[in-house]
Amino acid sequence: MGRFAVRRLLGMLLVLFAISIIVFLIFNVIPSSDPASRIAGKNATPQLVASIERTWGFDDPLPAQYWTMMKLIFTGELISYSSQLNVDEQIWKGIPATFSLCIGAAAIWMFFGILFGYLSAVKAGRLTDRALTILTLVGISVPVFWLASVLLYYLTFKVQLFPSGGYVPLTENPLDWAYHLILPWTTLAVLFIGFYSRVLRSNMLDAMNEDYVRTARAKGLSERQVRMRHVLRNSLIPIVTLFGLDFGAVVGGGAILIESIFNLNGVGQYAADAISNLDLPPIMAVTLFGAFFVVLFSTLVDIAYAYLDPRIRLEAASR
Amino acid sequence: MKKLGTALAMAGVAAAMALGLASCGGSGDKEGGTLKVSFASFPDYLDPQLSYTAEGWSAMYNTYIPLLTYAHADGAAGSEVIPGLAEGLPEISNGGKTYSLTLRDGLKYSDGTPVKASDFKSTVERMFEVESGGSPFYTDIVGAEEFLETEEGGIAGIETDDATGEITIDLVTPRGTFTNELAMPFVALVPGDTPAKDQSADPAPATGPYEIVESNPGRGWSYARNPQWADNNSELTLDLPSGHVDKIEAAVIRNQSTQVNDVEQGKTNWMFDPLPADRVAEVKRRYEGTQYRPESSISTYFFWMNTAQPPFDDLKVRQAVNYALDPAALERIYAGEVKASQQILPPGMPGYEKFELYPHDMAKAKALVEQANPSDREITVWTDNLNPNDDAGAYYQDVLKQLGFDAKLKVLSGDNYFTVIGNQSTPDLDTGWANWFEDYPHPNDFFEPLLAGSSIAPTNNGNFAQIDVPSLNEKIDELAAQQLGPEQERQYAALDREYMEQAPWAPYGSRTLSAFVSSDIDLDEVIWNPTFSGDLTSFQFK
Amino acid sequence: MLAAPLWASHVAHTGPDTTHTTEKITVDGERREVVSPDGASIGPVWFGADGRFFLGADGRLGRDEMVRLMYGGRTSLLIGVAAALITTFLAVVLGLLAGYHRGWTDSVISRAMDIVWAFPVLLLGIALGTALAVGGLQIGPLSISSGSIWIPILIIGFVYTPYMARPLRGEVLALREKEFVEAAVAQGAGPLRVMFGELLPNLWSRIIVLFTLSIANNMLLESALSFLGAGVQPPASSWGAMISTGTELIYSAPLLTIIPGTMIVLTVLSLNVFGDGLRDAIDPRSRVRLEAHAGTFEPEREGA
Repeated sequence: MGRFAVRRLLGMLLVLFAISIIVFLIFNVIPSSDPASRIAGKNATPQLVASIERTWGFDDPLPAQYWTMMKLIFTGELISYSSQLNVDEQIWKGIPATFSLCIGAAAIWMFFGILFGYLSAVKAGRLTDRALTILTLVGISVPVFWLASVLLYYLTFKVQLFPSGGYVPLTENPLDWAYHLILPWTTLAVLFIGFYSRVLRSNMLDAMNEDYVRTARAKGLSERQVRMRHVLRNSLIPIVTLFGLDFGAVVGGGAILIESIFNLNGVGQYAADAISNLDLPPIMAVTLFGAFFVVLFSTLVDIAYAYLDPRIRLEAASR
Repeated sequence: MKKLGTALAMAGVAAAMALGLASCGGSGDKEGGTLKVSFASFPDYLDPQLSYTAEGWSAMYNTYIPLLTYAHADGAAGSEVIPGLAEGLPEISNGGKTYSLTLRDGLKYSDGTPVKASDFKSTVERMFEVESGGSPFYTDIVGAEEFLETEEGGIAGIETDDATGEITIDLVTPRGTFTNELAMPFVALVPGDTPAKDQSADPAPATGPYEIVESNPGRGWSYARNPQWADNNSELTLDLPSGHVDKIEAAVIRNQSTQVNDVEQGKTNWMFDPLPADRVAEVKRRYEGTQYRPESSISTYFFWMNTAQPPFDDLKVRQAVNYALDPAALERIYAGEVKASQQILPPGMPGYEKFELYPHDMAKAKALVEQANPSDREITVWTDNLNPNDDAGAYYQDVLKQLGFDAKLKVLSGDNYFTVIGNQSTPDLDTGWANWFEDYPHPNDFFEPLLAGSSIAPTNNGNFAQIDVPSLNEKIDELAAQQLGPEQERQYAALDREYMEQAPWAPYGSRTLSAFVSSDIDLDEVIWNPTFSGDLTSFQFK
Repeated sequence: MLAAPLWASHVAHTGPDTTHTTEKITVDGERREVVSPDGASIGPVWFGADGRFFLGADGRLGRDEMVRLMYGGRTSLLIGVAAALITTFLAVVLGLLAGYHRGWTDSVISRAMDIVWAFPVLLLGIALGTALAVGGLQIGPLSISSGSIWIPILIIGFVYTPYMARPLRGEVLALREKEFVEAAVAQGAGPLRVMFGELLPNLWSRIIVLFTLSIANNMLLESALSFLGAGVQPPASSWGAMISTGTELIYSAPLLTIIPGTMIVLTVLSLNVFGDGLRDAIDPRSRVRLEAHAGTFEPEREGA
């Protein structure tokens, strides 16, 4: 078990390393990102550009530039090209908003995802199921950013029911915090509610035919007890796994659109700004930050699974 | 306030400004309060030596004062250079190569340290050391080029005397724009021991009526009154206003429509950015005169055509484009926020004289293209993604198609647009959109960086049209060495026409900006300086 | 209605990028400006102008919204289908290779998948889109200009590959143990023959389901990328790009946002319903399988 965990963790570092190289290359082959000229501004002279190149090390060979950048990220000294702000500090400042958004949305999608999935499975084939199926399919078919824009227009402008965005720190005013986040939470959760309830429904329907469920029924448990204790519980395991992965993915990039539209000033919005600026240092740091969460959660899920099911360890060892 | 009024009368500033201030004396004016303002993006820097954007200059107009500054007034009056921390305007001698000024005695920074004449020298050196985008304005100072290379030994051409406050600057060649350049924020004084790196997160002590007390880069910043202002600096610099509100909080709200909503709902008192085109009609209808006022800017919006390559190396083709573009259509595309004009100098700039060489005439345009019959008809049109510039680009592309060209549109992020089109290694730089807002109210600012042959550079090129006409280059150089007077203005007007006869650009107008404030702000009091836009000292609650 | 994009060029009175800023049209006998001087564009006129400007103009450029909607839909559908074909092709090849050969081939492919997987999809998409939007793509003889819709197609096809390759690899791993494979190998069939002759036919039903759902996801990702300016480049229209221009005008003309968005929802919804039904029809016991390692799930998800 210990060896398996170590292997996975090593693999995780390798993936992060590969990602950092890919990002670095993507943004170094763009001919026009030319950071020195951009820092120099609209009236720059060649001397000024040359001087900036020296200071920032843009004339070093690529591997050296990569090495410097990685060193700076991990010592917390990386500076953005376009605004000359400390990148790590900016990410830290964005974390509360991003986490507030993701955790809140996750709570909502888990609650409704499970509720709808359960109802849908229990009432399989009946009107409730049909209605929920349509609803959830619509949920997974709606472009998130479009829903956000439309809600923003109707609920903050036409009817001024909600604030039009912005983030209020939880420590400053918990009520205002929640009030500002209701719309972003809802929009972000819609897709996952649809997806989770679909998964849960089919898992539960499958589970109902399994042997252990028949055994439980044979033992004389009531249908309700069977559903809650056996069917739902076993069907939830994959949901929890999915949740780990999705949460990682949402923290690591899925929140970009929502954060930008609702002006939440979190990590995702920072990433979006950096990309439109072609500003390599923050893109690099944010991508690694995001990938870290994706990989971390997928590793955790793996390890948890391996712990629960020894066969996987064997399979992994055979690879 | 009264004091300010008399001071201005003494200084004999333009009548327009005195008029503007007359209402200040009226009753019911409220002092104090916290002003909330919003910006769509955080200034590039909150460091006067580094900032080179409208946001930064507006944010620091009232915190960091150069030796000279611009009058706090609307329109033409606001383009006048007045003494800032210096006692008077510079004495120019030695054939325009030596500038002498005297620092006012007794000024203090907001942290209490006295302002010294030598701080000017260290400030200019600091600007070179941080590799500021402003440094090209000052490389004509004796010894500046060497200093930029070596960063050692100081700049020989600046001599200061802390005891008397005398400052003498020697230039390599006469420079008619130097008085304006001494009034740019790049050379606004900061203490001599300010580190030579970006201070945006922890802004340097101020000399103006406000100081930046908190800065949260990317998110917002806030001001309080400079404790040294009321009982010290204010007395010494009587022609600078002291401001009405006690505190100012600036927040970054990226979505401009959200900014509009917030001003309408009174959550924000003023938005820095112009109205998004989508909202112009609505805001005008509901708030014109009470909370909204259009403000003209000294800017030119234009399409440049690369004169170094076919098909735009042919004058007839360039003229055809000028005839083909319909200013009325472009006005609509900008929702009326562009005032049509077909010349290089914009209204409000000294030397501007209206003329119209190319009235819209599609038939004539088509005929010209037919005459020229260019063999290369594949064109790439460049523009940035900031609405409505992207729409202007799409319209231009459509016009070129109507003229029989095979035009492709390339839309780049506004953040790096000018870097990309200023880099000559970028392929297919045929034609595209650009704009230029004045750095200072001197017509040279529209010719030398944008149209002189010497400005063609492999990177950071400003001469997008790559036009290089020797006779016109000479004229630019000749005028640039002279101090601006009526004769020079007349010659600049002639130069404007001569360039338009060459048609390197198809200009289409200057941008209208907007002062849009919440209902509790006194709109009549708001001053809109043509260089620094909204003047934070002029905002006052009703 | 949803298929209307297919014959866009036969019914349109004007090009999708043609501007009508200063023109006037006759609506029910009354002359009206397409764009008024303060920038307000004409709203839906329905059949008032003989089908011209049916849904009004798309903003201050005065382009016909209905025409753009049809051409835009064509782009969106094309991107969805073409990207799904690329994904499917790559996923089938990689899945077969990894599942059949196992060993180091599998290791290399799986690790490469891990990397793409760990990349936040949207972030990767925008990063590639923005990067390529400036300079285009040049790999050897392959050269794609920066405005080409092949860029979003390739990006989308590429980033979703692991989402399809993983389940297929799992399927192949399972099939490989079956007798018919052993029988084929015993008869002297080479690896290619086994992979494409024996294994592939058994994967078809699964591939078709994944393919359908992948079109739906691709269309959603396309819209998100175009919304962020990293997908279809102006002036070309796609439904995502139209939402993007629409949101800039949402306070004065909300319909310009709502209409293309509704089109996306309806199309994606139809594809999802179709894919769902297809799966039930082909494999009644099918369910969303969760592969234990690296927690894999089917691609009826999207990055946005």
